[in-house]
Amino acid sequence: MNPIGLYAVGLLGPGLEDFASARAVLAGDAVLTPDAVRAPPPGLLPANERRRTTATIRLALKVAEEATADADRSQLRSVFASSSGDMDIIDRICDALTQPDPVVSPVQFHNSVHNAPAGNWSIATRNPAPATALSGYNASFATGLLEAATLQLAEGGEVLLACYDVPSMDTFIRVRPITHPFAVALRLGPASGAPWRLTLDFAQGAPEDRCLSDDLETLRDSNPAARALPLLEQLVRGHGGHVRLKAPLGRSLGIRIEP
Amino acid sequence: MDPLVITAHTLTSAAGTGRAANAEALRRSASGLRPCDLPAIHLDTHIGRVPGVEAITLEGALAPFLCRNNQLAELGLRQDGFAEAVAAAAARHGPDRVAVLLGTSTSGIAATEAAYHQRDPQTGALPPDYDYQHTQNMFSLADFVATRLGLNGPAMVVSTACSSSAKVFADAQRFIAAGLCDAAVVGGVDSLCSMTLYGFNALQLVAARPCTPLDRDRAGISIGEAAGYFLLERAGSSRHGPRLIGHGESSDAHHMSAPHPEGRGAAAALNQALARAGCRAEDVDYVLMHATATPANDRAEARALNAGLGPNCRVAGSKGLTGHTLGAAGAVGVAQALASLDGQFVPPTAGLRTPDPELGLDARTEAEERPVTRVLVNAFGFGGNNCSLLLETTA
Repeated sequence: MNPIGLYAVGLLGPGLEDFASARAVLAGDAVLTPDAVRAPPPGLLPANERRRTTATIRLALKVAEEATADADRSQLRSVFASSSGDMDIIDRICDALTQPDPVVSPVQFHNSVHNAPAGNWSIATRNPAPATALSGYNASFATGLLEAATLQLAEGGEVLLACYDVPSMDTFIRVRPITHPFAVALRLGPASGAPWRLTLDFAQGAPEDRCLSDDLETLRDSNPAARALPLLEQLVRGHGGHVRLKAPLGRSLGIRIEP
Repeated sequence: MDPLVITAHTLTSAAGTGRAANAEALRRSASGLRPCDLPAIHLDTHIGRVPGVEAITLEGALAPFLCRNNQLAELGLRQDGFAEAVAAAAARHGPDRVAVLLGTSTSGIAATEAAYHQRDPQTGALPPDYDYQHTQNMFSLADFVATRLGLNGPAMVVSTACSSSAKVFADAQRFIAAGLCDAAVVGGVDSLCSMTLYGFNALQLVAARPCTPLDRDRAGISIGEAAGYFLLERAGSSRHGPRLIGHGESSDAHHMSAPHPEGRGAAAALNQALARAGCRAEDVDYVLMHATATPANDRAEARALNAGLGPNCRVAGSKGLTGHTLGAAGAVGVAQALASLDGQFVPPTAGLRTPDPELGLDARTEAEERPVTRVLVNAFGFGGNNCSLLLETTA
């Protein structure tokens, strides 16, 4: 595929409060100190919607805001990628449905859709541009990146990719062991003039790259969205590089990085 | 944009299993809606249930995928020689050059609902045979279809509520244009489950009687299920069939579960689809509307059509046949549009008795036999997520 530009990154995970402050850890110059993850209610949303946000929406919108801090948000196309969507809500609704006369909360129901973060983002940014929401199971980040890159190449302009998953609640932790919240966002655009150029290669299956740091490798394994970490490690090192991520159906996504 | 040829397709819905039965039901307004007869669901409503889904078995590598959504996916794949057409395309292009891009809103959540009923009373643990990855996870549908068809091109599930299986057509066009694949299996599968029935009921959007889109007395949706698939390939001298010539996508940026009252996002999607195809309003023979039959949805969509295509434009709504099939609604709409292009008729609006004069649309109770060259198909979802597709016959 033709190269695309990467303009900004948003990040949130245990011990990783944002991309700027996480640079030292990602570069291997500082030790990761995992901490409880705080995703504040999104400041861009009107008060009514803000009150109704879920952990999933807050996670997604935090990194989306960060990656678009210097951008015109009013026309930005967006791709929201998540393996599982809002599992907290699905847990509560499935629990309610076991009652003899089930009562489902209307707000929980409309927040249960996979595109709830995408809908809230478009409302928050008053943005009529197309938004999509997708899943590629554990390869949701690679799937979202391929979708966002394809959109950028087809339509030009800037595209936001946000990828996130909340940790599984107690009922699900054994069948779907996601142990930490994690979210990452990339603001993509034209290759010329970008701080990083990315060239994607959707290829046959090949071994995926692991994190250079053992601490980050543990994190990478704990959440589908954290599969982005090997890419982030390369970005902060300031020289060119290459990472290979798993894509669905046994395929792989190669990413060549040029500063 | 470079048009794509639809070289094979199939539809299974409450109105029929396979293309011929759905086309016949569309022409004759033969509704598949019935009083809700799902076990354990006690709601006064009608549903569009596909007969025979529960009897579908999945063997071998497909066995872990067993859930209502993938049973319906399998039933759909068995119709109209679709799987054979995909096998031929995979032989032509290579199985790694055929993408699998599908839409669903709830995937196999019925499996999770059932598992919650069977939780261990002491520990709360889910039953040991529950398989999250292959049933409830959103990606399960694309994983199942790719495994079943032996494909390993680019794959994803788009889940933007009721626009999901329309948006995958736009994705296929971009993926093929970017050289990621030479063909794409697109479409959608969504199946009946307690969550959507009780959820829409909680939002007071469900009608007790069969839904009546575009009617003066419309009172809400009937929920249905469906599986629709399409094989898309680049146009070439040797490939014949109806074509996707335009697509448009937008966001309302207004509300999570209510449409923009003026249909602002819907109008933007429609205009994009026309512009991409190089068409004008008068080039569209009729619009197969999203028309869910809630008072607000049909009104907002009508405003968008009045703004984008002019007053009193020719339309049809089809959810009186199938119910609102949610994540499969785009696929159902496209398959019905293709049936009308093939049969050269404008479909009636099933369930319609008294067209709502306030909508300013030309919807009719009977099929109109006449030349049809281009149909615009709408699909809109929660989160203000809109998609319009423009289809053309080359016959």
